[in-house]
Amino acid sequence: MNRYELLETLVPVLEDALVVCNIGIPSQELHAISDRDNHFYMLGSMGLCSSIGLGLALTTQKRVVALEGDGAVLMNLGTLATIGNRAPDNLILLIIDNGSYGSTGDQATYTSGETSLAAVARGAGSQKVIECPGEETAGVLADCLTARRAAVIVSRVAAGNRPLPVVPLHPIVLRERFRQSIRK
Amino acid sequence: MSSSVSTQLLTNLKAGGCDFFVSVPCKLLAGQIQLLEKDSDICYLPVTREEEGFGLCAGASLAGRLPCILMQDSGLGNSINAIKSLIQFFQLPVVMLMSYRGSPGEPVPAQVPMGVLVPELLKLLQIPAIHCHQPADLAEIRPLVDHARVAESAVAILIDFQLMEGEI
Repeated sequence: MNRYELLETLVPVLEDALVVCNIGIPSQELHAISDRDNHFYMLGSMGLCSSIGLGLALTTQKRVVALEGDGAVLMNLGTLATIGNRAPDNLILLIIDNGSYGSTGDQATYTSGETSLAAVARGAGSQKVIECPGEETAGVLADCLTARRAAVIVSRVAAGNRPLPVVPLHPIVLRERFRQSIRK
Repeated sequence: MSSSVSTQLLTNLKAGGCDFFVSVPCKLLAGQIQLLEKDSDICYLPVTREEEGFGLCAGASLAGRLPCILMQDSGLGNSINAIKSLIQFFQLPVVMLMSYRGSPGEPVPAQVPMGVLVPELLKLLQIPAIHCHQPADLAEIRPLVDHARVAESAVAILIDFQLMEGEI
């Protein structure tokens, strides 16, 4: 299972959550599978998906799912400590770990070597950390959303991308429809 | 003066509507951070790096809050891409409260090279800014915070070393 196939299984589970999606091909794939108002596609600022998700979760009652990538988390590891200490119950950080910088030519990340992001998240203070294969992730995510407790999920999938165009949304259009979905 | 500069600073920010604060520490901002830790009217948390702080501010801003990041001026160097491709790209209001560490009297030599660039860098980044040298300048904060909301923009408040000297 690769990221696209994983996202296809996640979309039905994400309907009632606010979704912040990692920059680049992850956002392009999510947009192609299902473009919804509750999706905030990052169009820039690699590494900040988890942080945007935490800021949202602290200021809304809705459940927030930050759809991260392994390369992006490695770019902003400090945020795992902030999340480990301060994540509210409505934040789920879902790291799609394919061991690869998918948007830049599939260079290997260190999670394909010795680095375990689940171990880093635990060490950084998160109490509930689940590592699972992509095939089990939709079920794990559904359980976590029901439990309403902060969680970090590390979903292991194979590298690989769908060739898709850049997300064709103006940032202000994206911002406004996302804000409306928060208010709903 | 009836209240400290730190108290006046926060009072002005809160009066303007700032209700979500993150900080990367600076010795000059220690007084404000101490006040924020005790303030139950607002949401406050420390972050590990400025870029991360802008991410949190973006999330809070999307949810309709008016966020403020406390940071040392040198942290602007760590933040430029987040400011341009997130905060300004999506037009999210954020107030940046920054210590200014480049002026004569600064005791730490390594603060100077980045510090002297900061006012020009803010101009280049098209971030409206005020520079507070003395207590009377704090009155400019409230209109600037209003401007952040009206212009859907990042704005910056530079706080001089000399202004905080009595509180560190």
